[in-house]
Amino acid sequence: MNRIAQALVRRLAGMAIVLAIVATVVFLIVRVTPGDPAAVMLGSDATPEDIAQLREKLGLNAPLVVQYGQFLWGLLHGDLGQSIFLNQSVGQALLSRAEPTFFLTLFAILIATAIALPVGVLSAVKRGTLFDQIVVTVTMVAASVPSFWLGLVLIQIFAVQMGWFPASGYGGPDTPFGARLHHLILPAITLGVVNSALITRFTRAAMLDVLGDDYIRTARAKGAGEGRVVLKHALRNAMVPIITVIGLSVAMLVAGAVVTESVFGLPGVGNLVVSAVLRRDYPVIQGTLLAAAAIYVLINFIVDMLYVVADPRVKL
Amino acid sequence: MLNRRSFLVSTAATAVFAGSARLAFAAPSDGVLTVAMIGEPPTLDVMQTTTDLVMTIDQHIFETLYTYDAEWKTVPLLAAAQPVISDDGLTYTIALREGVKFHNGAVMTSDDVVASLRRWLDLATKGKQVAAFVESLEADGPNTVVFRLNAHYSPLIATLCSGSVILPVTTLADPLTEFVGTGPYVLKERRPDQYIQMVRFDDYASPEGEPSNYAGGREAIAKEIRFVPVPDANTRVEGLLSGQFDFADSLPVSAYDRLNGSDKSAPVIFENAGWVSMNMNMKQGLMTSKALRQAVQLALNPTDMMMAAFDADMFYSVDGSIFPKGFFWHTEAGIARYGEGDPEGAAKMLAEAGYDGTPLRLMTSRQYEFHYKISEVAKAYLEAAGFKIDLQVVDWATLTTRRADPDLWDIFVTHSNFPGDPSTINTLSDNYPGWYVSDQKAEAVAAYMNATTDEAKFAAWERIQTAIYDDVPLYKVGNFNALAGVAKGVAGYEPTYWPHFWNVSPKE
Repeated sequence: MNRIAQALVRRLAGMAIVLAIVATVVFLIVRVTPGDPAAVMLGSDATPEDIAQLREKLGLNAPLVVQYGQFLWGLLHGDLGQSIFLNQSVGQALLSRAEPTFFLTLFAILIATAIALPVGVLSAVKRGTLFDQIVVTVTMVAASVPSFWLGLVLIQIFAVQMGWFPASGYGGPDTPFGARLHHLILPAITLGVVNSALITRFTRAAMLDVLGDDYIRTARAKGAGEGRVVLKHALRNAMVPIITVIGLSVAMLVAGAVVTESVFGLPGVGNLVVSAVLRRDYPVIQGTLLAAAAIYVLINFIVDMLYVVADPRVKL
Repeated sequence: MLNRRSFLVSTAATAVFAGSARLAFAAPSDGVLTVAMIGEPPTLDVMQTTTDLVMTIDQHIFETLYTYDAEWKTVPLLAAAQPVISDDGLTYTIALREGVKFHNGAVMTSDDVVASLRRWLDLATKGKQVAAFVESLEADGPNTVVFRLNAHYSPLIATLCSGSVILPVTTLADPLTEFVGTGPYVLKERRPDQYIQMVRFDDYASPEGEPSNYAGGREAIAKEIRFVPVPDANTRVEGLLSGQFDFADSLPVSAYDRLNGSDKSAPVIFENAGWVSMNMNMKQGLMTSKALRQAVQLALNPTDMMMAAFDADMFYSVDGSIFPKGFFWHTEAGIARYGEGDPEGAAKMLAEAGYDGTPLRLMTSRQYEFHYKISEVAKAYLEAAGFKIDLQVVDWATLTTRRADPDLWDIFVTHSNFPGDPSTINTLSDNYPGWYVSDQKAEAVAAYMNATTDEAKFAAWERIQTAIYDDVPLYKVGNFNALAGVAKGVAGYEPTYWPHFWNVSPKE
């Protein structure tokens, strides 16, 4: 086995351990949290006897160790369990909600990167100018804006007043794919703008670090054009921290989607987890959080791979 | 600032607009009604749960033998007439409407009704309570069913108005997998968290009579109804204002002015949508002392609590009677201690009762913001009376779990709708959290159960309300109104507790 394969196996084993820990912690947290899915399902008229009966039927009265064993056994067989409320498996529930969350995250990171990279680079190049000061101030404000507030403002302007976009949802039964994506534009801007602030600031800082290095002065002394100096020599070397923050932003977008999907009524994974927590749908909470952790770990793995591409000095 | 006059003007205008438009659009339409709901229902099996969300959606698919008219009296729906009650009051013979079809094309018979009601008696919370009184339930020919009771149970017909839906015997299962009913709309597709799609049932057999609350003629005018879960209340408002939704349920009262000023929507207020109560733990802890419960009752100011929670007086009313004015059951029997808040008087009662400063655990939830606001004001009044208050703010799911354990709380805040029958008020059950057990309650409830006329029932209900005010298993805070919004161009919508969309014409 060569060195790269060994490193990959090592990383994959580490990922498996992380996911096993997450599965255990999530299982315990969900069970320790007060609240009872049976009580939620039966409503306020339910008697304690009815609740106890439903708990028995749902297997919630089994000892914790037994429930944990069943959960792990299911996981080993690729089964995340059955939703208590949705009349479908957790896997099906996740898959049916993956589309809006995937495209929302994709659009949001595209928007965030498209704003952040040029603005961050330009701000560093024009350090100390009025443009730079405006960028620093605006990004500070943008990073502090709560996404639910920005979402409501965008709905007010572009859905209610302009009528350009739908205020909520992901379309009806007869809505074609393109029109469904139209529903994602406002939420993607909401998520993208907030995250672009962070990426802009990191890009600016990384570029400032690099632009002060000797080799940049050398490149200029050799007569390289400013565009070539900035884009080829400086940006390439600043990419490692920038990739890191973009990777972190993708992971944060998955978490940020919880709020944004709730505000925009999108039937995505974020909305699923919020509903599941409110209803105490244990299998869905466990499955969704585990899936989110898996995505997080996977993104980190991909980011590590990209380091190697961006900077040949980095070894696995 | 909103006031009652501007509210009356706006609702009167809406009513006129709705009424006139309805005459013009009573023909079937190809339009779709998009209805924004507060969330995804936990199930569509209404026998499993009677939460408002499930009831609102399900009533378009399923129907019961009886339903409520505008005075909340029971009237036939799938039944052909009022029941024939035997002289001893123990046998109820119910004739069924003939020729009623299910969505699968089968004609409803007494076998379907008996099987459905047996499932309800076995499964549903309310059904199980009724089951204790049912000696037998049998078909008598294809279009008649007979209940034989082992004791008098006057609310029987009221309990057949909600939750006890009739399904084809061939689809009965646990859990239910086919959602086939007799209602004006057929379930076409459910995509959890995205939409519930219903289409017009062309073979629908409507009851006769003028529409009145849930009673009377039902016509599926809109070709399709889509119930869309929109958990964020502000998003429901914006969606309505943008024209995306035709109806939005449970809106924050702060949205009233915007809806009223919009050219795309209008506010709709449903008066007396429910009542808020503070339920006391009579099994364990501080509130087992009747004197302390009465001190709480005396200390609180319902007007201040409701104003804090609902902003303007057009959204609430303060009334000691458990049932509001206009209801058959409205009475002022026993309400003397329901007043304007008297912390000084309550302080004297505390001293006489020997209150030792043990903190009173007041449990509330922010999931319903008005619960929290009411609790904050209650805390201030109770502290003024000398109570030490431990305000415990938890989410609703936690509250419903914790309230089942008498060791964990003294008072919890909740709200209820006005049931069609007083005997179905939760607190009257010995087992409902609070565990209200008293001789005077038991005697009054027994008198109610034995009553066979409305007059006798009313007299017994007055005794029950008097017992509630004397024993103080709960403190009634006040009645609240519900704000919803309807798009302009939608015609014929009449506000009801569980909003329904038969007889409603969509926008052209």
